[in-house]
Amino acid sequence: MDSQIIEVLNVTRGVAWLPWAVSYFFLIGLSYGSFMLTLPYFVFGRAQHEKLGRLALLGALVCGLTAPVALLADLHGPGRFLNFYLHFQPQSWMSWGSFFIPIYLAGLLLYAWLALRGDFAVRGQGGTSLLARLYRLAGRGGEAPRMAIAAAALLALAGAVLVALYTGMEVMVVHARPLWNTPFLPAQFAATAFAGAIGLALLFNRFIGGRDSELEIGLNRLLVLALALVLTLGGGWLFVSLSGVSPSHSAAFSQVAGMPQWQLTAVWTALATIVPMALATWRPASSGLITGLIAVHSAWMMRWTIFIGGQSIPKTGAGLYDYHLPLGNDGLLGIVGTLGLWIALLVLMLEYLPWAGQAVAAGNEKATNALAANAIASH
Amino acid sequence: MIQSRRNFLRALPAITAGAALAPAPAIASAAGKEDGRHRWAMVVDVQKCIGCQACTVSCIMENAVPENSFRTIVSTYEVHDDKRTNTYMLPRLCNHCANPPCIPVCPVGATFQRKDGVVVVDGDRCVGCAYCVQACPYDARFINHETGKADKCTFCAHRVDAGLLPACVETCVGGARIFGDLNDPGSKVRHLVDQNKMKVLKPEMGTQPHVFYLGLDERFQGHVEGAGTLWQPSGHGG
Repeated sequence: MDSQIIEVLNVTRGVAWLPWAVSYFFLIGLSYGSFMLTLPYFVFGRAQHEKLGRLALLGALVCGLTAPVALLADLHGPGRFLNFYLHFQPQSWMSWGSFFIPIYLAGLLLYAWLALRGDFAVRGQGGTSLLARLYRLAGRGGEAPRMAIAAAALLALAGAVLVALYTGMEVMVVHARPLWNTPFLPAQFAATAFAGAIGLALLFNRFIGGRDSELEIGLNRLLVLALALVLTLGGGWLFVSLSGVSPSHSAAFSQVAGMPQWQLTAVWTALATIVPMALATWRPASSGLITGLIAVHSAWMMRWTIFIGGQSIPKTGAGLYDYHLPLGNDGLLGIVGTLGLWIALLVLMLEYLPWAGQAVAAGNEKATNALAANAIASH
Repeated sequence: MIQSRRNFLRALPAITAGAALAPAPAIASAAGKEDGRHRWAMVVDVQKCIGCQACTVSCIMENAVPENSFRTIVSTYEVHDDKRTNTYMLPRLCNHCANPPCIPVCPVGATFQRKDGVVVVDGDRCVGCAYCVQACPYDARFINHETGKADKCTFCAHRVDAGLLPACVETCVGGARIFGDLNDPGSKVRHLVDQNKMKVLKPEMGTQPHVFYLGLDERFQGHVEGAGTLWQPSGHGG
């Protein structure tokens, strides 16, 4: 029998995890991904990776400190976070997450302080200003022992792994949304987080790090590997969905496959992975700006599609729920505000944190010498 | 104007409670009890539903549900089968599942199941994280945009505890919603469940809903395959 159903009246459920959640998952992903990139220099002492380590530490800190603010905003009342600690629920991944986030951030801050302690001490040398005294206080003891840095890195690493685990599992366990209910999701979150972190490092290298072409080549090569992993995971999901091995994957696929907006998203996602791979392979020394931008964009877009796109699929009703980005706190203003906080923190860190180590001191010295030379020349 | 409307809404539960005091013999024995002797459930006889939305409106009035939000609604569909066109009505609400997926995800234990099976939210503890909203397979929960906390059908627990029927049952014109105690062998709900082949929504989810449907078309048992809704509320989706 030929049958057609038109939904005439039903409730539209608005998205309940707002763009704040997208911002949080995006930033915390970039943060733990960036943290991983700091390890070769600060923990394993590979001097050739110093610039990468320092730029990535900046990325890990600025993203890591901004992320929880977006998460708190998603609670519609920041003070409510206290209930997470008053009423622990071991069966809820989100409840565990409320403990994993402070573990990661405490580990990251301790690690960053120990990693830069020697640089703090250098920055505080000689001056009598309050700032110089604060630098001396932060740098007391000088360069930290390698073992202390490694121990702090271990704590941050444990926190990073737990954050990556809980952010993935929290979404994966939602059986009610077939699109989320896949073991591929935690791995996809992690892989796109690493690709995004590499993209962020490429952008930092271009705008803050003096455009080191060797670093650009190295990061582009790493990006190709990360994006290959992203493609493999995406291909794996597609295979499982199409082959019929898993009914829940097939259900998720059939929910969206026929819809033009999801088809466009699929093409866009594939292009946003393949194009930077091709560019990074073809022009590794000069494509960093564009490959970095696309990689960061892909990390954002993946989360936006999962959260906002996922919530626009009705669980019982027909068709799709419409979503229009609101202009206020729960929409555009929230995203722009989070970006504003991110930029403000970045500016503060660039100004006051000795993130670049001796390079900054050397840079300052160079600038001072140049000024002196100019002064002499003008006489 | 808004204030007076709010006052009106606040006063409504008292008014309706007063009006309904007499005709609620079905659960009068429940007054003030929540001791596990009862297991509240609802049977929805789909063929008796006329889609008048009286249940939708009475629920909003009884529970002061904010504008554009719904704890229950009668989903209405136009169904074309060959040359025949029919209207299909499906009342939806929280299923007060025996295995509710909204409870284990709650990070603060704010959502819980009473001994009588009613799933409720402790508004003082709820942090508005919306994890339960995601976990519910029936789209039965939402974030109340006035409180910023999870909201849902409670089977009108405040009325049931007072020995009254839920507002939607009380106002159902066609008698399509039947509410009662599954643990009571003499209750109409128990009788209907025992004597008929009941269906529940999305049985494959393993949630064991306690809203049972009589005469439910299989095409509407899960995610409905059809053209999207023609009407959507403006402002806060709910």
